[in-house]
Order: sequence, then structure tokens, then C-alpha cells
Amino acid sequence: MNFNIIVPIKYVPDIEKVRFDTETGRIDRSSAEGEINPFDLNALEAAVRIKEKYGGFVTVISMGPPPAEKALRDALARGADKAILLSDIKFAGADTLATSYAISCAIRKLGSYDLVICGEKTVDGDTGQVGAEIAEFLGVPHSYYVSEIRDISKKNIKVVSDFGDAYYLVELELPALISVTKDINSPRLPTFKDKMKARRAEITVWKADVLADVCDIDKFGFKGSPTTVSKVIIPKEHVKECCFIKEEEAVDKIVEVLKEIGVV
Amino acid sequence: MDKKILSMIKEIVGEEYVTNNPEIVKGYIYDETALPVRPRAANNILLVKPANTYEISEVLKLANKEKIPVFPRGGGTGLVGAAIPTVDGIVLSLERLDKIEIDKDNLMAIAEAGVTLRKLLEEAEKAGLFFPAHPGDESAQIGGLVACNAGGSRAVKTGVMRNYIRGLEVVLPTGEVLSLGGKLIKDNAGYDLAQLFIGSEGTLGIITRAIIRLYPKSKFMATLVIPYNNREEAFKTVPKILQSGIIPLAIEYVERKLVEKTANSLGMKWPASEGEYFLMIIVSEQSENSLYEVLERLADICTSNGSLEPLIADTRREQDSILKIRSEIYTFLKPESIDILDVTVPPANVLDLIKRIEKIANEYGIEIPVYGHVADGNLHPHILRIDGWSMEKYKEIIGKIYSEAIRLGGTITGEHGIGAIRKEYLLKFKSAKEIELMKELKKLFDPNNILNPDKVIP
Repeated sequence: MNFNIIVPIKYVPDIEKVRFDTETGRIDRSSAEGEINPFDLNALEAAVRIKEKYGGFVTVISMGPPPAEKALRDALARGADKAILLSDIKFAGADTLATSYAISCAIRKLGSYDLVICGEKTVDGDTGQVGAEIAEFLGVPHSYYVSEIRDISKKNIKVVSDFGDAYYLVELELPALISVTKDINSPRLPTFKDKMKARRAEITVWKADVLADVCDIDKFGFKGSPTTVSKVIIPKEHVKECCFIKEEEAVDKIVEVLKEIGVV
Repeated sequence: MDKKILSMIKEIVGEEYVTNNPEIVKGYIYDETALPVRPRAANNILLVKPANTYEISEVLKLANKEKIPVFPRGGGTGLVGAAIPTVDGIVLSLERLDKIEIDKDNLMAIAEAGVTLRKLLEEAEKAGLFFPAHPGDESAQIGGLVACNAGGSRAVKTGVMRNYIRGLEVVLPTGEVLSLGGKLIKDNAGYDLAQLFIGSEGTLGIITRAIIRLYPKSKFMATLVIPYNNREEAFKTVPKILQSGIIPLAIEYVERKLVEKTANSLGMKWPASEGEYFLMIIVSEQSENSLYEVLERLADICTSNGSLEPLIADTRREQDSILKIRSEIYTFLKPESIDILDVTVPPANVLDLIKRIEKIANEYGIEIPVYGHVADGNLHPHILRIDGWSMEKYKEIIGKIYSEAIRLGGTITGEHGIGAIRKEYLLKFKSAKEIELMKELKKLFDPNNILNPDKVIP
């Protein structure tokens, strides 16, 4: 019962370390290392576990500039069998729609598949839209916030979706797309041996033209993006102050401060 | 405290920075020492938060004149009760001295005593530099870290606090201010007094500022988790690594049972599914290629010395979570612990020490969990609570472990210090002459015994 699984991954900056240019609102990418979007690691782990249990093949796809290759190599070290990088200036400036279109085209180009597994969102964009949009472009059913895969056969997959206020047991016909939460598993660390193998592995790079026979390449990148980011506002850092107030003065002082900041 | 003295102190530091309100004071009188051995803090404590060296000097002049004990306090992360005010007096919190400046050209940080380790790490990083040591809790403050000569896990390559300190500003109990050393790599002018204050645990003077050597930021860092089925093979690998010319930032030793329980308690998962004993090795290099070259050699040494397949964490996130699990072992065991030891032996004798500790554990039919900084020869055996046991019985075991460490050419504490709880053992394991010299030194610096009295000196 072999499964052909596809895992779209994104190369993102380490969001806890990255600095923003407060003037332009842009990310200073040189300020932090890049990595696989942490949610995508859960998606990859879920795929590799299915492969290990039932047999199969895991392909990771990423769209991004050449440094995104690093994320794909990391995915290979963690159990993916093949890595494809969509890298072309024509893909640049893509919003979630153009991104999911390009990735869905790459999936079509690959031919048949059983399951696409995404992370629930990326830590830099935080929209959580790309997975669902890929499923719509591919015309396959999808389920979001999957925290458990109950069962899988060549015909269908049963998953538990965590919608916060309730868990849904969902059965989807394959091929399908699921997006998984962090609760689904703990991603493994790669062995050093696999890491070294992945460092030497070949990464397939597809330019936009490669996909011309399966889609409209004018829908890629900025051209295919109906949304744009008009402004980014960086929250200001606040310095908290602490001081000792004598018991008898406390109420008056608190009222005074509350008045000062316009609360009362 | 005498009203007149109280108002003089308020005059010096400002009224809002002086309090004896028990609700506030209670947050300043204990540290992280295990509860069963933790000394009781005195009841009449005045908390004083000076803003600068001048105010500290003035407070000390007054305290010295009036013979009021003064207990300097940093982040309160110590493990031997060194910061606990055991008699009535002043707790002098250095938290307001929190300025830091990075001298990029000299690769040094000039940090006031109240700067936290976290802030030092962040500021160094912002300047493209690196403070390689990681002496535990990041809320620890520079003054305390220096006064306690803190160690931690990343000491293999560039050492413990002592190795980083190039200069100190210290206020003596008399209020006089010393400026020792400087932004110097070499300084041979007379006795190196700064070294005396490092590790003095606040008994000789109050450290107000330190000049700390920094290193270029390691752009590429990775952590190997190396599983073994055989403990001896794990320990025997360590000297082979060091002999090969590879000096990692850290080589830690942990055992599955303990590290898994700790990870679970944090809602995390220990990454290795195979092996019972683990080396955790942190390596940093300036280029990705040289990092992997070193890692490849390391992995070869480990596998040819009996390890199972090494695992690698090369993202910051994954490295942080492994280090987090390792760092939290102490916190996980603390509620069950009577005492946390800090024995250190010559690195090649660590295996012997661990075997002897195991023998003692078997003799008493108990379990003594052990982990530590294996390349530094520094182990942390935890003495766990056993129902119905008296403190005397625990002390008997502690004494035996100390004796074994000494027999192997070691010491009773590698990084935690003596504080309030190890004085009796210091007396037992140091020569009478050494103790006498320590007492003389204390008298010389602090003739009225006002600074952190009752600590370090037996």
C-alpha cells in the first residue's frame, strides 16, 4: 500500500530572531538564519511516518529564491525522498493565491499523488491560506487543523481536526490535502549521516517555464497576485516601570496614574 | 534598624528605593538552593536598591561604621544560599545598575552588576559578537555571575566566568572603590586582585561593573546528540575528541531515564529513540563548511568508539530545545532533591567518579541521578528524598561522594560555590593553612565582617 505524498514547505526566517526595519516595515533577512517553517516540519514528519508504516514516496516542494534550497536539503535529511525548488523571478512577489497556484501546478506536473500534507500556516505570513487554496486549485477535498491521522487506506483518510471548540472526525477521499497542527507529532532530528547525504543530494530546480504545459504562467508571482501589502506596522517596544509605593499612598498614586493614561 | 540610620540610607538612595515591607522583601531573601538544605533568612531585612557605585559606596561606609551586615544580591539564581541574608541587615540589590556597553573594536562588554546574562547575550549578538559561556539561568546578573565564578555548560572551549573577566570595579566594605584591570589582554602589574573577587561570593567586596571579554559571533552552530548503549564508551570518547584537536563549546552527559522524564515534564520530547546514555556536543565555527567538516570528524570519532548513529540539530530552535531539556533537569529534580552536588574531578577521572557514586548508591539501596559537564569533569549528582531518612544520613552520603571526588584529585564544587551550605565540607577538605589564609584575607578586606557574613569561610 504505497503512498505518494507531497509536502509543500516554506523557507522562512527564524521569526524569533529576525529584525524588522521599523521605517519600511520590511524584514531584514540578513538578521536571522532561515529554516523550514516549523509547522511544515510537522507536515513532513506526518508524511514520513505514513511512508515508514505503509511504504511510499515523499516529495517536498518549495517556492523561493535559491537559498530556499537549504530548507529542501533539511527536508531530505528528515526523510523526504525528492525535493523540488520552484525558483524564478516570475514567481517573485506572489501572494497566497499566486503561491498556491504555482505549487498546485508543480503538483500537477508531478503526475499522480495520494495525499498533500501542509503545515497549518507559516510563521512569517501567518495566513494559513495556502494549503486550502492548493486543494481548491487541484480540485481535491481538504481538512484543516489536523491533530491526528486515525486511519489511511488507498481510498480514503480519516483525520481528527481540532477546531478549538470541538474535534471533528473527518473522512476524506484520496487524493486529498490535509493541513496539520503542531500537536500531530514531534518532528524527529535527522541523523548526522542523513544530513551529510542530504547536503550532497541533488535538488531539482524548476523555472516557471517548466510548468507552462500544465498552467498559465502569467498567473505566477506579482502578476497573479490580487492582494498586496500596503503597510506594515511594527508594534512599538514599551518600557515597563516599577516603583515602590507606600501602602497609605498606594490608592492615590494608582488613581493618579490611571488618570494620566486616560483610563479614568 | 535605628530610625536615624534608616533615614540616612533613604537620603543616599532615595526613599522609594528602600523598603522593609515584608511582601516586597520576601522576593529578595532566598535563592535557588534546594529547600531541605536552604538556610533560613533573617526576619529584619532592609531592602536597598542603589542606582550607582557612589550610592553603594555611601551605603557601605555607613554600614561599616554602624557594623550592619550587607548582603549583595543579583538575580538570586545561586544554588548554595550565598545570597540569603542569614542575619538581620541590608539586602543590597544591584538590579538598578543595568547599563551595558559593547566595545566592538576591543571585543569587550562593559556591564554593570545588574545586567542580566540574557541582556549580555543579546547585546553582544546585536554587535555581531558572542559571549560563549552559558552559566545557567539567563536571569542571573553579571555581579552575581562574577562573584560566584559561574560555569555552566559552554565552558569547554573558552572557560568559566573567571576566564572572561578583564577588569572589575569593586566597592570595598569601607566604601573605597577599586578599579581593577581594564580592557587588557595582558596585565602583569602586581598581584591580580580582580581574581580574588571572582568567586568570592560577595564576601570581599561588591562588584559593580565588569569588563568582559567577548568573542566573534559563531555564525554556524550545531548540536550533536550522540546515543550510546554503553556508558563507558560514552566517557571514553570524550578525551579522544579533545585529543583530536576539536574543542567544542560544550560536551554534556545525560542518561535516558532522567532526560526523558525532564522532557516530558516540559511537554517536550527527547529527540533520540535509541541509546541509554548520551553525549550532547555543541560546536561552533565561522563557516558552514568548516562546521560540517568538524562535525564529520566528531561523528567519526564517536561511531568508531561505540556510539549509535549521532543525531544533529542545526536550527536554532532545535538546538535551543535540546539545551532547554538539559538545563531543566535541575528544576525537574529539585522538588525531590535534598541537595544538588557539584563535584568536579580531572576530566579523565569522570567515569571513575560516576562508578564510585553508583557504588555508594547501591550501598544505601538508593538512586543517585547524575548528569553534568563531562569534558569539564563536573558532575551534578542529586541526593533525592527518601521517606524516613534523617539529614544525618544524607550528609553521610554527601560526605562519601565528596571523599571520592577528593581521592580522584577533585573538588567538592566546580561551579556552584560554597555559600552557606558547603562551609563544613570546605573545612574538611581544605588544609588548615588554606582556611587560615582565607580568614586572614577576609579580615584584611572586611575587618568588621559586614559583607555577606556567615558565608564561604568556615
